[in-house]
Amino acid sequence: MGILSRFLGAAVVAALSISPAKAQQLTVWHDLGDNGIKWFEAMGAEFAKTKPGVTVRSLSFPTDQWFGRVISALNTDTAPNLIFNNYERVIRIQNQTGKVMDLKAALAAVNDKAFLSEDDLRVATFKGRQIIIPIQRVQMAFGVRKSWLDKNGGKFPDNWDEVKVLAVAFRDKDPDGNGQADTFGMALQAAKPRDLIHMLDLFTFGSGLRHTLIDPDGKITIDQPAHAQVLEEFLKTYSTHKFVAPDTINHSFGEMYQVIEGGRGGMFRVGDWNVKKWDGANVLNGDFVSGPWPKFAADRENAVVIGGMRGIAVPENAPNKALAIEFAQFMLSKPAQQASLENVGAAVRKDLDVSTLSPRSQYFAKAGHKLVAYDFPESIHSFYPELEAAFHRKLLSGISNPPADWKAFIAETAKEMRELAAKLKG
Amino acid sequence: MNAALDTIWRGRIFYLFVLPFAALTILFGVWPILLSIQVSFTASATALRPNPTYVGFANYFTVFADPIFLASLWRTLVYTALSVLANLAFALAFAVLLDSTLIKRGNLFFRLAIFLPVVTPDVAGYVVWRWLYDRSFGALNALLKMLGLPAFSGLSSADTAMLSLLIAELWHHAGFYMIIFLANLAIRDKALEEAAHIDGATTWQRWRYVILPQLRPALVINTVYALIQFLKTFTVVVVMTKGGPNDQTNFVTYYAYQLFDQGRYGEATAMATILFAIVITISMSAFLIGEKGAKR
Repeated sequence: MGILSRFLGAAVVAALSISPAKAQQLTVWHDLGDNGIKWFEAMGAEFAKTKPGVTVRSLSFPTDQWFGRVISALNTDTAPNLIFNNYERVIRIQNQTGKVMDLKAALAAVNDKAFLSEDDLRVATFKGRQIIIPIQRVQMAFGVRKSWLDKNGGKFPDNWDEVKVLAVAFRDKDPDGNGQADTFGMALQAAKPRDLIHMLDLFTFGSGLRHTLIDPDGKITIDQPAHAQVLEEFLKTYSTHKFVAPDTINHSFGEMYQVIEGGRGGMFRVGDWNVKKWDGANVLNGDFVSGPWPKFAADRENAVVIGGMRGIAVPENAPNKALAIEFAQFMLSKPAQQASLENVGAAVRKDLDVSTLSPRSQYFAKAGHKLVAYDFPESIHSFYPELEAAFHRKLLSGISNPPADWKAFIAETAKEMRELAAKLKG
Repeated sequence: MNAALDTIWRGRIFYLFVLPFAALTILFGVWPILLSIQVSFTASATALRPNPTYVGFANYFTVFADPIFLASLWRTLVYTALSVLANLAFALAFAVLLDSTLIKRGNLFFRLAIFLPVVTPDVAGYVVWRWLYDRSFGALNALLKMLGLPAFSGLSSADTAMLSLLIAELWHHAGFYMIIFLANLAIRDKALEEAAHIDGATTWQRWRYVILPQLRPALVINTVYALIQFLKTFTVVVVMTKGGPNDQTNFVTYYAYQLFDQGRYGEATAMATILFAIVITISMSAFLIGEKGAKR
C-alpha cells in the first residue's frame, strides 16, 4: 500500500511538472463580425508566443446588441475581460455604467507609441479618462468612380465648384453608358439624425472647418459664414441641386451602399473598411479613387476625416484585469497592428507592411494625406444627441420643402438650436 | 376559501399543463413589461444601472410636453384608423368574393395569392415594396411612365409616404383577416338567408340583417387584432422610411425607438408604456363593444 501511494504521489508530481503553463482565456466582445473574429484569432496566436497557455476568444454582436450586453454585463459584474468598439460607443457604456477603466497608466507604460497623434489621443479620452487605447483609426475620404472621372477629364475634384461640375456630368451624361438616366452625382444618406449629420460632418471637417453644430464652449456654429456656406451647399445637394437619388431622404447606410455598390452614385464617402469589399470583382472592382474632401474656400486646407477611433477598453470589474491590460497594450504592437490592417483594413501604426494591399487600401494605410479628427461633441455635451436629433429634424424639413432663401433658413435654424441648447443645458 | 381550493384541486391536471406556459409568459412577457415600466420612472442617465435614480412621473411630463410625441401619437391613431378600415374592408370584400359562386375556377389560387404575403417575411416584403416605390428605378413609376401618367412620389414625399406604407401593409396583412372572414362565412347558417330571400328581403337587407350579424365574431377578432397590429406599426417604418420624410411616418413605436437609440431610456419607455396603455384600452373597448352587441 505504502509503495502504491508513493508511486501515485510521484506520478502526480511528474504529471504536474510536465503540464503546460496554466491555461487562461481572455474574452473580447466586439461588433466587427467575421473579419474581427479572424483578427482576434491572429492576435491571440501572436500573443500566445510570449504568453503560453493564454487564448483569446472574441465574440461579435450586432452593434445594438453589443450595447445591451455590455451595459448589463458591466452592471451585473459579469463583464468580459475586454470590450472593443468605437470611442463614442464606449462613452455611452461609461455613461451608463461608470465602469470603464482609466487606461492612462496602461498606455503610459507602452514604450512604442510615438505614432499616436494628439488627435488620436483626443478621440480616446473622455472626461480626463483614457477610456480606450486607440487601435484603429477610422478614416473617411471622398471617393469618385474612376471610370466616370476618366470620362470627365480625370482630375480628382479639389474644391466644391469642381465637385458640382462633376456631379452634373455624372447625373446627366450617362457616365455608365447604359443609355438610361439612372445615375446620380453623389450617394449620400439622410434618414436618421446620425446619417445626415455624419455626412455634414464629413463636408465640414474635410473642408478645414471644425465643429459642425456646436463647439466645445457650447456655441452654435452653423450660421458662422464659413459654416453656413458649407451647410447651404450641403442642403442644396439634397434638394435644388438634385445631385442625389430622389429617395435619399429615406436612405440610411444600407440604401446608400446600394446606390454606391449598384453603380449609380458617382461621388461618395469611402471608409477605410469599405476598400477591401469595394476592391472585389462583384462590387466596384476597384473602380474608385479616394482623396480629401472638397474645400469650399481657396484659403482652406482640405483633409481626410478621422471619423472615429476604434479602441480597446477594460471594464473595472473585468476578471483577470492585469492580463487584459497586457493584451490591450499588446494590440499596439507591430504584429497585432499588421493583423489589424490585414483583417479589418485599419490600424494606427504607420510602419506596417502595406505592399500586399491594393493601391486604394494603401492610400489609407500610408495615411500620407492631411488628417483631421472629428470632434465628438457628445463627449463634451451630454445633451448633444437630443440637439442633433432636433437639428436633423429641422434640416429634413428644409430638404422636404426647400425654402426660397436658404440663408434665412440657416439663420432661423441657428436661432432655434441656440434656444434648444440653452434649454437642454439648463 | 375551501371552495376555491377545492376548485383548484379539481382542475389540478389542467393547471399542471398550463403551469409551464404560464411561467414562460410571466418570465418573457409580463416581467419585461414590468421592467420597462420601471425604467420609465428613472432618469435616463442612470436607467440601466443597478441603482437607478427614480424621478417619479417626470419622464411622462416631458413626453406629454413634447410636440413631436403628440404629433406622432396623433399620426399613429390616424394611421391605425385608416389601416384597420382599409384592411378589414379589403379582406371582407375579398372573402365574400371568394365565398360566392362568382369565382369558382381558380378559387384556391386566389386564396393562396392573398394569403401568401402573410407568410412572407415582413422585412423581405417591405424591401421589395421600397424598391417598387423607388423614384429612380421603381417598377411602379416605370409603369406609370409607360401609361403616360404622372409619377407617384411614394416614399420620398411627405404627402404620399403614409399612403405608401398603408398599401404595403395592406398587402402584407389583409390575407390573414380574409382567412378569418372566410372561416366565419363557411360556418354561417345559410338557411337564414334563404328564409329572408323567400320573405322578400333585398340583397342589401339580407347582407345587413342576416349575414353581417353572423360575421360578428370574425369582425370583433379582426378589429381587435388589427388595432393592436397597427397601433404598434414599426417594421414597415424601419425598412421603408425611418420615420420620414419630414416625420410623416414617425409613429410612436419608431419615435420611442429613436429616443432609445439616443440613450433617452426613461422617455422612450414612458412612450412605450403610454402606447401599451392605449393599445390595451382601445383593444378592450373594441372587444367589449363587440361582445355587448353579440348579447343584444
